[in-house]
Amino acid sequence: MVDVSKHELVPEHTILEDDDLEEVLSEYDIDRTDLPKIKRTDAALPDDAEIGDVIKIVRDSRTTDQAVVYRLVVE
Amino acid sequence: MTEVAFDVDDDTIAVVEDTDLPRRLKDNVYEELEGRPDATVEDADELAKAVEARYVDTRVEPLDPVGTVSAQSIGEPGTQLTMNTFHYAGVAEIDVTQGLPRLIELVDARKTPDTPMMTVYLEDEYATEREKAHEVVWNIEATKILALGDVSTNVADMRVQISLNQDTLTERMITAEEVAEIIEDNLGVSTVQNGTEIQFGPEEPSYRDLLQLVEELRDITFKGIEEISRVVIRREEMDDGSEEFILYTEGSAFGDVLEIEGVDASRTTCNNIHEIHHNLGIEAAREAIIEETNNTLAEQGLDDVNVRHLMLVADMMTNNGDIESIGRHGISGSKESVLARAAFEVTVNHLLNAAIHGEIDELDGVTENVIVGKPIKLGTGDVDLRMGSTGPSTQAD
Repeated sequence: MVDVSKHELVPEHTILEDDDLEEVLSEYDIDRTDLPKIKRTDAALPDDAEIGDVIKIVRDSRTTDQAVVYRLVVE
Repeated sequence: MTEVAFDVDDDTIAVVEDTDLPRRLKDNVYEELEGRPDATVEDADELAKAVEARYVDTRVEPLDPVGTVSAQSIGEPGTQLTMNTFHYAGVAEIDVTQGLPRLIELVDARKTPDTPMMTVYLEDEYATEREKAHEVVWNIEATKILALGDVSTNVADMRVQISLNQDTLTERMITAEEVAEIIEDNLGVSTVQNGTEIQFGPEEPSYRDLLQLVEELRDITFKGIEEISRVVIRREEMDDGSEEFILYTEGSAFGDVLEIEGVDASRTTCNNIHEIHHNLGIEAAREAIIEETNNTLAEQGLDDVNVRHLMLVADMMTNNGDIESIGRHGISGSKESVLARAAFEVTVNHLLNAAIHGEIDELDGVTENVIVGKPIKLGTGDVDLRMGSTGPSTQAD
């Protein structure tokens, strides 16, 4: 099986810890369901991610150095 | 202290790093300062501050209608795109849909593009040796019977006769035995194989069945991937000056190709955003949408469209974890407001359905407020200003 995370189109995906999540949500003043979504079946998802987890994605941005975005794992 | 790849002194770095600029702009400032060795720290500070002021000034303001601005910014140059579906023989003589049809195909999120293609990068010796690269080509390109030898029908004996070309067989790494076996598996006939000659026929002597068999025989893929009809191999110079072989394919089967030995699974791409989504996930699909739309515009000399607009489009399309199209079946069709949906396309259907289901429009969005003639909740429309009843003395608080 091909290692998807090695592909240059795929940014780094990590599961966000609960403490950090609270910080993010309060910073933007949103609920976790307001975040963009990622499917549980997504090829780039870390193996131990479960529904309800929030994934932190660090992209190489075209406009700044790095852009951090978050996605909520949904079915 | 941050590491900086430019030849500037520490004080300069300190004043530049102190600003609120993104990395890319900081680097530009360093580059400029590097070229002016007689600039003092004060000059550097002034320059950095000026750039920062300009940067902060050009950022999107709160309540700015970014979507509308994006739509206009992509729409206007869109009028200059070629409207025909003519395929421009671009890279390596592979036909690729260009211009407006391609852009529409992308934002509509069509399941398969009009002209699917892949750019296959190779790894290690496969990328540098022509022989090795060809091995990969034969594993990708669909090989049909006519590429391997001649097919003739013997009507007198009711037999199909194939005479294979030994050189081609060796080159494409397939044996006559394998060919015979594949024919038996696919057509359900028993074959007689003698060296490079293969013979078979219908069970009952029937002219129609015989022709039918020949038809089916032509469709069998003996080696390679069914979807990929042609592969072009090109030697290209890379950014670092080295040369390597790159394959361009007509037709795509992204998942299958990534598994093939010799294929560099970290750089190979295809132009089908759904295949990328399926194999690499939603984030890669987002990247691919930006890349493809940007290339489509750049190809037509419209690369002055700011990439942020395309990023916004890609963000919207991938927001819910799946690729959604822009338009009435996707994003516009899933809008909350009845009036906003009705204003877009198929007005009567939306109004009728809304009436049947007793939908309520909260008048939260832009379109519906324009329709009913209320101020929209954007820009100055969303802030309430009142004349101050307090004196100037308290304003400073």
